[in-house]
Amino acid sequence: MPSNTPTPPTEPDVDFHIAALLAAAVLPGLGHVVRGERVRGVLAFAGVMLLFLTGLVAGGIDVVDRREDKFWFIGQACVGPLAFGIDWYHQNHLKVVDPNPKGLVIKGRTPLRSAYPNEGRDRTTGLPVGGGTPPNIKSIGKINEIGMLACTLAGMLNVIVIIDAGFPTRRKPRGAA
Amino acid sequence: MFGILAWRPLLDPLPIDDVWYLLLIPIALGIAMAYKAVRVPNIQDYPKQVAVMATQTILAIVGLAVGAYLLIEVVLPIIAPK
Repeated sequence: MPSNTPTPPTEPDVDFHIAALLAAAVLPGLGHVVRGERVRGVLAFAGVMLLFLTGLVAGGIDVVDRREDKFWFIGQACVGPLAFGIDWYHQNHLKVVDPNPKGLVIKGRTPLRSAYPNEGRDRTTGLPVGGGTPPNIKSIGKINEIGMLACTLAGMLNVIVIIDAGFPTRRKPRGAA
Repeated sequence: MFGILAWRPLLDPLPIDDVWYLLLIPIALGIAMAYKAVRVPNIQDYPKQVAVMATQTILAIVGLAVGAYLLIEVVLPIIAPK
């Protein structure tokens, strides 16, 4: 016989969740999926990726550059391994080895730079080849600034998503006691 | 026109130097989507709250742009010593 007493609303789980925290750091939104909030995780993923891809499409891969834009990359790195992978590809497969480096050269680190407009890249040595097509084009001006900003904003928002995955709140509406 | 034909996605910057300000729309939308995904108590309200926040962000930035334009082009020429 069914009882007429209404079931009390279940309180959301607000305990610290280490697995969700780690999963969120690996992929945006994955922490929420691990916690069981699949829709919220997918929506967070979509938002962070929209921002990150907007930056990448606008400014090209040049906007993610650990060496030349170190401080911007600190923010972008918060997107997770994806940002590190893109930077790795940029440094190792698109940039050329600079035969005449200018400025400070760090010992043990190969000096790299983006290929000039009239240069190609030798796949085996990474040295610039005259008369070829550059692997990528360096972005400048507003497009570069907006691209870097969008990718960095994606990382900063992902920090909020990571914290919310590991240390969730009860999400009470504003003004609720 | 010809710039976009030669464009290699993700490798080259998007050749939209004349309409760069339109990038405000996906950026505002992305911020609202990511933020509201962790903020809304009820996920049913998500689309409406994202639309409201994105619209507010865009209007605020447009308002700042109009304000900066008026300050530099109208107010400053009046008050600056010649």
